Amino acid sequence: MSAEDTKKALDKRMSLKESVSRFVFDGCSIAFSGMGGQQVVAPTYEIVRQGQKDMTLMGDSPCECADYLVGTGQVKRVEVAWLAFAVAGISPNYRRAVENGIPRKIEVREFSNYTMGLRFLAGAMGLPFMTTKSLIGSSVEEYNDMIKAIDDPYGGKKVALVPAATPDVAIVHVNRADMLGNAQYLGFSSNAENIARAAKRTIITCEEIISTDDIKKAPNFTTIPQYAVDAVVEVPYCSHPWNMCYAYAYDLPFHMEMMAQIDSEDGFKRWIDKWAFGCKDHEEYCEKVGWGRLRKLTQIERRFCKCTS
Amino acid sequence: MSNHMEEYAEDYTLQELLVVAAAREVKDREVVFVGVGIPCLGALVAKLTHAPNVILAVESGCIGATPYRLMLGIGDNACGENAICVTSLWRAFSDQQRGYFDLGMLGGAQVDKYGNLNSTTIFGDGDYYNPKTRLPGSGGANDIAISANRTLIMMNQQKRRFLEKVDFITSPGYLDGPGSRERNGYPGNGPAVIISNMAIFRFDEETKEAYLDSVHPGITADEVRKQVSWDLKVSANLKTTPPPTKKEAEIIRIVDSQKIYTGGGLRSLTFENYINMLDSSYERLKAVFS
Repeated sequence: MSAEDTKKALDKRMSLKESVSRFVFDGCSIAFSGMGGQQVVAPTYEIVRQGQKDMTLMGDSPCECADYLVGTGQVKRVEVAWLAFAVAGISPNYRRAVENGIPRKIEVREFSNYTMGLRFLAGAMGLPFMTTKSLIGSSVEEYNDMIKAIDDPYGGKKVALVPAATPDVAIVHVNRADMLGNAQYLGFSSNAENIARAAKRTIITCEEIISTDDIKKAPNFTTIPQYAVDAVVEVPYCSHPWNMCYAYAYDLPFHMEMMAQIDSEDGFKRWIDKWAFGCKDHEEYCEKVGWGRLRKLTQIERRFCKCTS
Repeated sequence: MSNHMEEYAEDYTLQELLVVAAAREVKDREVVFVGVGIPCLGALVAKLTHAPNVILAVESGCIGATPYRLMLGIGDNACGENAICVTSLWRAFSDQQRGYFDLGMLGGAQVDKYGNLNSTTIFGDGDYYNPKTRLPGSGGANDIAISANRTLIMMNQQKRRFLEKVDFITSPGYLDGPGSRERNGYPGNGPAVIISNMAIFRFDEETKEAYLDSVHPGITADEVRKQVSWDLKVSANLKTTPPPTKKEAEIIRIVDSQKIYTGGGLRSLTFENYINMLDSSYERLKAVFS
C-alpha cells in the first residue's frame, strides 16, 4: 500500500509486531518521540527482536531507542543532540561505539535539542531548512557540515541554518488515540507533533485507544491529526521504566538496575537477552516487570496528577 | 536573596550548600530554564523560599510547575505538575530565543576562563572522531548558553576541568573574550556565575574572565587556585559562601529525602524507598507551598 492509502485508512489498529515489520526496514531513517520522559521503549525492544539493520537515527535526546539500537549494532548513523540516560547515568553503548567502534563504528552528526526540534519543524512544514541563533560560533557548528552559518540576508547578524529532518518512519508514543490515528497528549509533547508530521510513515503507540467521540470531547488535546498517521497500536506502559504524564511515574530504581547491568558489553547482551529476546512481546515484558509494580507506579502518579478531561 | 537575619543550619552537607548557592541566584518572578540535578533542586528551593513567583521551565515543554516532589529529569511528570502551560520543545526553546527566559542552568565536564563549556567529548590523545571519552553532548545546553538572558554554571572543581581552553565548545560562554557574543549575534548575555564544590566565580565586566568571588566555608583562595588551570584573579572583596538557612535545609531534606541529588542515594535506592519518598513528599510539600 502507498503512504497515502495507509494514512487514509479508517481503522489503523494493528499489533506492535505488525507495525514495526511493515514500516521499519533495513537502511531506514527513524525517529522516536519523548524527551526526558515518555520515551519509546516497548517498540525499541520490538525492533531489537526483529533486527532491522543499518538504520539512521534522528532524534533530540533519545535514550533506550538510541543507546540499545547502537549497542545491538542496528544503527549506523545518529543525528542527535544528546545521548544518555539523564539522572540514571551516561550512555554506555554510545560510548563504546564512539570510543572503540564496539559493536561497530557509527557516524555522528550533532545538533542541539532546539535545532533538532527545528529540523523536524522544517520537515513538518515541507520546507528545506529552518534558521536559528543557536549553534553559531560553537564547536557543534564547527564539526557538523550539515549546519550552515550565514549572514542574515535582511541585513541583521549571523543566523545558522539546519536542514529539514524527514525520517522514513517515526514512532510516537501518546496518552490516547482513536483508531483513525488522532493522537492526544495529556502532558508535554516535546517534538512529537513535528516528528509525526515530518516522517513518511508514522506509527502512533498509545497508552489507550479511545473512541473518536471521546477525541471530539477535547479536540484541543489532539496534537497529531489522523492524516499524518499510518498505524495505531495500543501499548500500555510503553515507556516503562520512564514516566508517562498522567499515566505512571518514573521507575528510577529499575533504571538504576539497568545501568548497572549494561555498563559492560556482556552485561548489555544479557540485558537484551532477558528483556527483548526473553519476552515474546510487550505483554510478557510487563509480566516480567510485574503488574503489581506497574500498578504501583500508576497509583503514585494519580496522587500527584489527575486528569480532569 | 536570602534573609541574612534568618538562622543558618548548624549542620549541612556540601551538596546542600550547593543547592542553596544555586537557589540564591534565582530572583523572584524570573523565568528559569532548569536542567536535571542540583541546580534544578536549587530552583525548586528558591520557589519554596524567597522566589515564590519564579516560573520553572524545562526542555520537554513544561512551564511553571509547582511540583510536590523532586523533578527527576526534564521530562519527569513532576515538571508538568500544577503547571501553567504544557507545550512542545521547540516552542519552549523559541520562547527562550525570543528573550523570555531570564536564567538558564548549565553544567559540563570542562569549563574555561571565558565560561565556555564542554559536555560533548574529551579528546585526550585523540580528537573529535577518536576521543578518549565520549560525553552525552549538547542536549539543550548550546541553546540555553546562547539565548537565556544569563546562565548559571555548575561544575566540579578540578584542575583538569577548569581549563585555559576547553577541548570542544558545546555551550558558548564569552568565546575568546569581550565582543564575541555580540559578533555572533547571540540573544543572551552569557554566563553570570560558576558554582563549584569549592567556590563561586563571577565574570569581570571588562575582560569577561571568571574571577574568584566567594569561597565555601573552610576553603581558602589558594586551595581553589590550585584547582584552576589559568592565572585566577581573586576579588578584592572575597566572600565566604553563606550556609543554608534552617528553612532551606529543611526543604531540601523533604524534597530529596532519599538523597538522590544531595548524596549517594541513587545507587542504593530500592523501589519501596522510592515510592515512599514520592508519597511522603506530597503531603509535606503541599503544606510548605500553601
